[in-house]
Amino acid sequence: MTRKSVENISRKLVLIVTVILLFFFLFLKLIYVQIFLHSRINNIVKKMIIRNNIAVPKRGDILDFNGKILASSIKKYTIFLDSKLIDDFNEVKNVLLNNGIKIKERSLNELEKTSYYPIAFNVDACIVDGVKSRRLKGIGFESKYKRFYPEGRFLAHVLGITDSDGNGIEGIEKTCNECLSGYSVMIKTRRDGRGHIIYDRFIDKTKICGQNVKLNIDRNIQFIAEKELRKAFYKYKAKRAVCIIQNPKTGAVLAMVSLPDFDPSDKIKDIKVLRNSAISDIYEPGSTFKIVAIAAALEQNKVKLTENFYLENGRYKIAGHIIKDDHKIEGYASLKKIIERSSNIGIIKITKKLGSENFYEYIRKFGFYSLTGIDLPGEAKGILMDVDKWNLLSLPTISFGQGIGVTALQVISAFSAIANNGILMKPFLIYSIGNTKTSEKSSKNVLNPIEVRRVVSVKTAQMIRKLLKDTVDFGTGKSAKIANYTVGGKTGTAQKVDPSTKNYSVKHYVASFCGMIPAMCPEVVILIIIDEPYSNYYAYSVASPVFANIAKKTVRYLNIKEDDIE
Amino acid sequence: MYKSYVVIVLIVLGIFIYMWQQNTAIRLAYKVSNLELEYDKINSENDSLRLKINSILALEKMDKIAKEKNFSKPNENSIIYID
Repeated sequence: MTRKSVENISRKLVLIVTVILLFFFLFLKLIYVQIFLHSRINNIVKKMIIRNNIAVPKRGDILDFNGKILASSIKKYTIFLDSKLIDDFNEVKNVLLNNGIKIKERSLNELEKTSYYPIAFNVDACIVDGVKSRRLKGIGFESKYKRFYPEGRFLAHVLGITDSDGNGIEGIEKTCNECLSGYSVMIKTRRDGRGHIIYDRFIDKTKICGQNVKLNIDRNIQFIAEKELRKAFYKYKAKRAVCIIQNPKTGAVLAMVSLPDFDPSDKIKDIKVLRNSAISDIYEPGSTFKIVAIAAALEQNKVKLTENFYLENGRYKIAGHIIKDDHKIEGYASLKKIIERSSNIGIIKITKKLGSENFYEYIRKFGFYSLTGIDLPGEAKGILMDVDKWNLLSLPTISFGQGIGVTALQVISAFSAIANNGILMKPFLIYSIGNTKTSEKSSKNVLNPIEVRRVVSVKTAQMIRKLLKDTVDFGTGKSAKIANYTVGGKTGTAQKVDPSTKNYSVKHYVASFCGMIPAMCPEVVILIIIDEPYSNYYAYSVASPVFANIAKKTVRYLNIKEDDIE
Repeated sequence: MYKSYVVIVLIVLGIFIYMWQQNTAIRLAYKVSNLELEYDKINSENDSLRLKINSILALEKMDKIAKEKNFSKPNENSIIYID
């Protein structure tokens, strides 16, 4: 072997050994990375590609009885800028401007200080798509569901409002917050090098989203009530006005209006407007309350329909106080006449025969001084002194609706009990809760009407209905009459207490009318309250005509059979 | 010799099937994710349009338009019902 060939072999050997060593070291490094650094690198990668996102559920809709949307949530976006990622600020500015988003000059100075600078709120998805398609760095999008009320201030007090986080804080939004909200779910997502996202598991959004709440409220009846009541509210420059329409057989509330109202989509400036007068405000009912005393007296057989009472020529002195009748009746009058002419003196004499204990019992039986349990927050119980604490004036004044505080809902419930043959039903607004299609009428989650108690017998209820019919036909409620239908009802003109003098005011009144149609077999009961009407305060000229206007349209809409065709 | 060829082919085939399965899974995951996003988008659009329809058909607005156009409720005898 020559020297040259030996050198060649040794060179080759060195090269081979070097290569082998190189690969050996690479192999060692691979072992080190794959085995010893495995968990560390894995964690770093996981942090880079795996994200835990919360899938926010869509809040359920609130629908009217016919499935029309009254409140719904839609996805809106907040667009923000991250100055650290922006390559060309002018291009970003132009793209945003082309999509109708202008960055304020003032914002430009503050932009560099933060990685999250919101520039537009409640942006529609189509605009976001337009911006996204340009694939610019430094523009971020954040989605959030926003609550919308397509009919504006319509049914505002019943629907209520939500806070900025989407939680119900008033009305049905609050009562049904739990079922409307749905369930938030944590979803793991993986992001690849190009920024594409893969979801770890498929989430059926329909299963996590909130349930729909369907109300007994009929949009058309509600509209009729709102329109007519608003007219009267402005005409009489009233302090507040209330209208409730109820189905007496089930207790279902078909319409509920409280004025002044608000637009739930707007920012609420005065929190007082959120108060639902129909359930939260207490007032002295006046003569509409007389049916309680009469029903109790008839039920207890303390008086007869044909019985006559001496009406003291319109002035009656009790416990040093003089009680007057607005519609003076000379001499004697029957129970029918007393109710027709709304005689305070007559009703006092009837209630005296009944006695305080019995009267108190029936007031409570009719549901006064108790929560009705309606599915709305903020219901008031009313004011009623315990019978043991009644003074000499309590029985007579309460008999004609003074010295007792009631809510509008309690009054209509009491009238509905008379209309429903003496059975008091629980008033309720929610028809069903569940994710049924808007057109679908049947639902597994339909709430059934609840019977509270029998207050008076069928016979007594019939007698009261006849008296109420006569009141509209011949008495103070004439202006509530409508063509082709019999109407039964009672007016109430109640003096208000002047807070400064703490005596009954001669200026401020509450005019109300509660009536039922058809009178003897009622399908609907309607209550109208106008608080502090200006210029005229008598219920028969303020509240009864509003009742007639609403009743006329409602019976036509509900297709109630005419019962007074001549 | 023949047996060892078969084993090699099976191993290669196994590796190939495994890689194909992994690849398909990832491809489908992308597809599902994209479809899910698209579904969400269409759903949101649908909600938005439904709300818009309800907003346009708001009774107060319709009443206002009817008043502006001097519409009135027709008499019962001027309506012809078609069965």
